[in-house]
Order: sequence, then C-alpha cells, then structure tokens
Amino acid sequence: MTAPLEAPADAAPETVLAGMGAKAIEGRSLGQIAWMRLRRDKVAMAGGVVIIALILIAIFGPFFVQDPTVFHPNLINSTLSTPNGAFGGISAAHPLGVEPQTGRDMLARVVNGARVSLTIAFLATALAVGIGVVMGIIAGYFGGWTDSVIARLMDIFLAFPLLVFAIALVGVMPSSAFGLSGNGLRIWLLIFIIGFFAWPYMGRIIRGQTLSLREREFVDAARSMGARGPYVLFRELLPNLWGPILVYSTLLIPTNILFEAALSYLGVGIIPPQPAWGGMLSDAVTGGFYAIDPMFMLIPGLAIFITVLAFNLFGDGLRDALDPRSR
Amino acid sequence: MRRRNTIGLAAFSGITALVLAACGGSSGSPSPGPSSAGFNAAISSTVNPSTHKGGTITFNLTTWQDSMDPGGTYYASNWNFTRYYATPLMTYPSCQGSCGLHLVPALATAPGTPSSNNTVWTYHIKSGMKFSDGQPITSADVKYAVMRTFAKEVLPGGPVYFQNLLAGNAASYKGPYKDKGKDLTSVTTPNSTTVVFHLNKPFADFNYVAAIPQTAPVPKNKDTGASYQLNPVSSGPYKVQSATLNKTFVLVPNPNWNPAMDPAVHQYASKIILNINPNANDIDNRLIAGDIQMDAAGTGVQSAARAKIVTNPTLKASSDDPVTGFMWFIYQDTQVPPLTNVHCRMAIEYAANKTTLQDAYGGPYQGSIATTAMPPNVIGYKHFDLYNAGSHPGGDTAAAKQQLSLCGKPNGFSIGMAYRSDRPRDTSAAQALQAALAPVGIKVSLHGFPSGTYFTNFAGVPKYMTTHGIGLATGGWGPDWPDAYGWGWALFDGKAIVPAGNTNIGALNDPVVNNLFLKLEAATSASAQATISGQIDMQLMKDAVIVPAVYAKALLYRSSALTNIMVQPYYGMYNYGTLGTK
Repeated sequence: MTAPLEAPADAAPETVLAGMGAKAIEGRSLGQIAWMRLRRDKVAMAGGVVIIALILIAIFGPFFVQDPTVFHPNLINSTLSTPNGAFGGISAAHPLGVEPQTGRDMLARVVNGARVSLTIAFLATALAVGIGVVMGIIAGYFGGWTDSVIARLMDIFLAFPLLVFAIALVGVMPSSAFGLSGNGLRIWLLIFIIGFFAWPYMGRIIRGQTLSLREREFVDAARSMGARGPYVLFRELLPNLWGPILVYSTLLIPTNILFEAALSYLGVGIIPPQPAWGGMLSDAVTGGFYAIDPMFMLIPGLAIFITVLAFNLFGDGLRDALDPRSR
Repeated sequence: MRRRNTIGLAAFSGITALVLAACGGSSGSPSPGPSSAGFNAAISSTVNPSTHKGGTITFNLTTWQDSMDPGGTYYASNWNFTRYYATPLMTYPSCQGSCGLHLVPALATAPGTPSSNNTVWTYHIKSGMKFSDGQPITSADVKYAVMRTFAKEVLPGGPVYFQNLLAGNAASYKGPYKDKGKDLTSVTTPNSTTVVFHLNKPFADFNYVAAIPQTAPVPKNKDTGASYQLNPVSSGPYKVQSATLNKTFVLVPNPNWNPAMDPAVHQYASKIILNINPNANDIDNRLIAGDIQMDAAGTGVQSAARAKIVTNPTLKASSDDPVTGFMWFIYQDTQVPPLTNVHCRMAIEYAANKTTLQDAYGGPYQGSIATTAMPPNVIGYKHFDLYNAGSHPGGDTAAAKQQLSLCGKPNGFSIGMAYRSDRPRDTSAAQALQAALAPVGIKVSLHGFPSGTYFTNFAGVPKYMTTHGIGLATGGWGPDWPDAYGWGWALFDGKAIVPAGNTNIGALNDPVVNNLFLKLEAATSASAQATISGQIDMQLMKDAVIVPAVYAKALLYRSSALTNIMVQPYYGMYNYGTLGTK
C-alpha cells in the first residue's frame, strides 16, 4: 500500500527528473503532496467516490424517488403480510422491493433515510469537532490547571453512560420546544446528543498534537515577537492541526452514523413514518420479518455497512496521505 | 388490571349450538370429536380423545414465568398451567365456545352465594379432599392462601383484587410473614369447609376473582415464602417432583388427588416436564419436529414458523388459530378538540383502513378485523358493524367526509397520536392509521413513548393528552374475566378516569354507558347480563370512543403426540389440564 513519494534514495537525480516529465521542478505544498499520495491509494479513492455518491444521493435522491410513506397494500401477501414476488417484491416499479406489512417502497425509504442519517452524522461531527478542537488546543497550549480541568472534563464525558442518557433525554423531551416540533426537533436533539458527547475523542487528539507543536521553533518565534495566546492558537497552531482534524472527522462520521442507527433501533431516534436506516433495521428485527423476508433487513443493513466502510477506508487513506509516519 | 399476557377468549368461529351441546354436561370428559383433525379442529372439538394413561409431556417456555407460585402469577398461560397442581375455588370448564366462559366450581361445592347486596360471599369447599402430602384440605388453607397474597415483598406478581375488594383491615394488612399472628379480618372460616369473604363494596363478579389461582389452598406449615414456587404442596392432579429456578419444573401424578375435586382436569400423563428454552424459534422447530409437545406460552408460533405452517397444508391441518381474548384498538380521546365532537370521531372510524391495520398487527393469522368495542370472547358479544368495515375494509372516504362536514371541519383537521415506540405492532398501527386518515384531510402527527411509562406519564395522563393535542392513542386489552364488566369497566366507565395511570384513555364519561355498567353490577340473571353487555358495546361504538383494529389471534401448533387437545376459549390457548399422550 505504500505509495513512495520520494524516489528511492539510490536513484540518480536524472531518473527522478525523467519521472516528472520534462517540466521544470516546482515547489509543492504539503497539500499537493498529500493529494498525490491519496490519489495513488485506490482503496481510499474508491471510498471517497462512494462518499460523494452518497452525499449526492442524500441531497438530490429524495426528489427522484416515490413518496416513502405511501402504503401499497396490494403488493402485500394478505396471509403472511410479506411482499409478493421474490427478494422482497423487487419489480421495475420498486427496484429494491417493498416493506412487509405496509408495501412502502424500499428504495424511497433507503434514499430518504440516507438524507436523515447523513445530515445527523455530519452535523453531529461538526459539533464534536468544533468543541473538541477548541478545548483540545486550549488544554494543550496553556497546560497547567487549565489542562487539568479540561482533561478531567473529558474523562467525565467519556465515562458518561451516553446511551442511557440519550434514551432518557429523548423520553422526557416535550414534543415541541424551541419553536420546533416532531422530527425537526428530534433531529436537532440527536445532533446535540451525539455531537456533544463525541467531542472528547477529538479533544484528546488535538491536545496531544498541540502539546508537541507548542515546543516547536515557529511557536517560540511567534511568541518572542510578541504574539499573544489567541493569535498563536488560531494563526500558528491551528493551521498545523488541519491534518489530524480532517482525518479524525472522517473517522468520527461513521461512528456517528452507527450511533444514530443504534438510537433509531432502540426507538428513540427518528419518528416514523420518516425513514432512517437504524429504524428500518429495527423494524425488520423487532417485527420478526427478517426470518421470512431477509431483504427487509439486508437493504438498510447494507446501506449502513457500505457507508461506514467507505468513510473508514477514506479516513484511513487520508491519514496515510497526510501523515505517512503514523502507519 | 391488565393481564400481562394475552388471555383467554372465545373461539371466534366456534360459538355455535353444536359446541354448546357438546359441553352441556357438567363433567369435563372429552366431547366427541373427529379423529382426523384439521385446521382449527381443536377450536370446535376435542382432538384425539382418549383415556390412555402414561407417557411424558414436555413443555418449553422462553423464560421462567413470573412465578410458579399460584399466589404470585398473572400470566394467562400460567393460570392454565398451575391447574396441574393448584385447585382454586372456581375454575373455567374444559369445554369450547361460550361454555368455556361460564365458571364451574372446582374446590368449592358450588359457586359462591352472595349476600343480598353482593358484599358478602360464602363458599363451601368439598370435604374429604387431601393435599399431596396427605394433609386434609380445609377452609383455613384457602384463607391462608389469600392472606399470603398480601405479602407483595414475597409474591410481587399476581392480581390485587383481594387487596382492593376486601373489607376490614385489608388496606393495612401486610401478609402473614411481616404481620405474624395478625389476622385478615375480612376472610372468615366459620367451620373447616366454609370460607366467607367480606367485601368493601358490592361486587357481582366475585366468582371470577375466586377463579384466580390465588384461592388455591396452601398449607401454612409447608409454606416456604418466596421459594414456595419450587416446592408447592399440590391440590391438583400432579405434584412437583423436582424444580430448578429458571431451568426446569417436573410434575408427576399426585397419589392423593381425588378426581371429584376438579372434573375439569385429568391425570393421564405419567410425567409433565416444563423446560426453559430461551430461543423461541428453536421451540417452534422442536414442536413441529415432535421433540416437545407444547409451547407453554400459548401465544402462538413466531413469524418464521407461521410462514412455514400456513404454506404447508399438512402442517396447517395440525394447527389452530383461535382468538386469544386480547384486542387491539386505537383510543379516541373525547376531551381533545376537535374529537370532542362525535362526528369528528366518526370520521376517523369511517376513514380507518382496517386492512392495513390488520397487516400492522400481523395479518389475518394474528388477528381478525374488529368492528365492535368488545372482543368475541366476552359474554354478550354480538357482531355488528356501524362503520362499514365489512363493505369498505379500506376505509369509507365518502362517509368520512360527510361526518367531517357535520363536525364543521369539511377540510379535515390536525391531531396528535400517541403510541408505544418500543412495540413494533403499535408503531406499525400508528403509521397505518396516519396513512389512512391523510386522504380525507386528517393530518396525524405521531408521538412515540416508551411502553414502561406510557400509561403513567403520557397516554394515561388526561391532562398531558389535552395540553399536547394528542387525541389518538394505540392500545390493547385482555380482560381478567370474560364479561362486559371485566372487559370494559376500566376502559369506558366515567368513574375509571384518574389523573395518571388512566385506562379510560378516551376519557369517556357518557351517562348512558355509566348507567349500563351500574345495571350490570346489579344484574342477577345471565341473560340480563348478556343483554346489558350488548347494549354497552353498541353505545360505545355509537360514541366512537375506540377504533377497533383486530381481535387478536394466535397460531398454535398441535402436537400429534397429544390426546384430548382443545382450545379453552377463556385462555385462548390449548387447555393444559386435560392433556394426555399416546
């Protein structure tokens, strides 16, 4: 998997030049180097393509599929409540088949579910990264009691029984608050719960990176020229942290997708009939239909699997590209 | 007062003159039935009638019952199973159709005789009866059995009718373990064969309370408290040979049992084993393969086995699909605008799609479409269909729109709907109703709540429902006994409305219904009871206080190794007490 950026040490300079074509040697930024490395990592690129496709599906897909809440009782076997036809009722009109009991179009539900699941995962990740970076950078740079307080705070958050808390919070939350109601409120609540409790993972990594960065010469130089805390933090340190931030954000997204799925599975996620992947999986398992109509479980399961795998592969590739030593 | 499991119910298709004739006799001997069985054969007849003795019957169950102690169990299936070793004062006879709903005396010589205002009930117990250890059974043992049910720290499960109904010091009595030497003054034993219950209010249905296994006698000198469930002294045809908590429960014939004690049960098999097997699908497979003879839960096979049975004619011929006594429905809260107007409620009744609701509750093998407020197992049930479910199973849009105009909302309205989000069937039903009401302009927003707090904090709190505009709520109900009072008082009487833990979620306070319940309490003849019950049912549907979804059914597999198999309509499952094996 190694994609050597530098030519082998024993190669003659001419070979390197020849390899670059006849163009003049240009200075390349770190970003360009990383992009070159990433481009050669076919697995990571495949992951990236899948991610882009998923995002496009999530944004535009719902405009092209059927209404995911419309029942089609005529497509359901009246005795068993399972879809008529093989593989969960796959047909030209319903390329991924229909749900047992209701006959709702599976493709429409998966596509609409993608929008909800990805929205929650992305925004929750943004929240976690935002809090994590600020807290991590402050803890790492200032050290001392600031560091101790923030580090303990992170420990508390990491030790928190999050799933239990989430179930309880969703349970006691009123059906409308902050001018929002129904799923509008529920989506923001899920984003808050997931994001607010995922930040210590990011915070710890940023804190560690900051600890090593703050001893570097360019930081000393800035300080000796009179730069104050905020300037050093956000102008000197932050630009050097984009690598890990990007990498761990990419790896946090699949975790958050799974967490949203888990909450929906437990019945405290998205309110039906709005589809969500975890909720679809939950319907298949708790209703007992997976045994007689495996497609009902397989389709949302595959959607989650592919998404999580794509993000993880891309995140790994990104890490390798930005920081080859970390492998 | 909810039974935690589906409880007995009349054979929906089986209440026929033939069945009534078949069980007209007072004995519980098998009624003649066809030797070649078929689908639903055990609902209308006894399959494989035989008096052959010997053999082993193996039951499986996914988890240990709430308690094997007759004093501490609230599961329908266990009220059925405990008859092997516990004989209450009254019992449900081993016969089908409405015959199985009318109590017969078991330990008692006759049904209880009430005082003129139904507050004092006297039972005489059969003389000469013995426990499995040889001790004679006396009225003091019945009284002691009732006393120990007050010790909720020892017997946390089980119904609380005695705590709520008995007079005297019943409200403060803590049971014979904590209140040692203290007497429960409202139960008296004038002599060794007479036991008298003094109630704090008139209660016409007390015989049904006396049929709860809690009245089965317990000898005080053999009571071991919480562990009594593993070594109960038997008053039934079998006694416990060995028992291991959460694993196994083995019964062998009780040599001191006298068949005169309870004609509704038999002593045919020479061993009865109950094993715990946590995998429900494995239980189904073993049952069909013949490795075991019965799933003790009695709630029907899982969906995988259901698909196998209904698509295979041979297997299907060895199965029964009785109504269980449970009913699924959607409450309409009469206090939440615009459902305060009966025409708006009627619009929902007409627009509801009974087909998608039936699918939501598992399809036709899991429930038949309901059109009444009472299920068919309740004494006095008569079929009627006010809202065209028969002619328009997919919803009568035209009639619904007409009702909306009468209600003053010709373009529909918005309403909230509560459901238990951890219950797949509730979740499906809520979505099915939402989809069915959308075409007539009724916009339903769904509010899911955890089932553990559904009645205590949300749907069961009238104030929560009105302040949040939630006028619809999914629900289900199984009666503790099969008459209109046992079925519907808690659901529909105005006096049942309480600020939290409310079961009258429709908050119905219709003087007509309330008066009918009063008349039912005072009714003396069975025919008057049945007539009033039918009137209550009709009035409830005119009030449109619930949208009936389905009368629940359970697909049961009938093992070919068993003899004397019949569906007991009150339990809505096979009758365990009469079983034998080939």
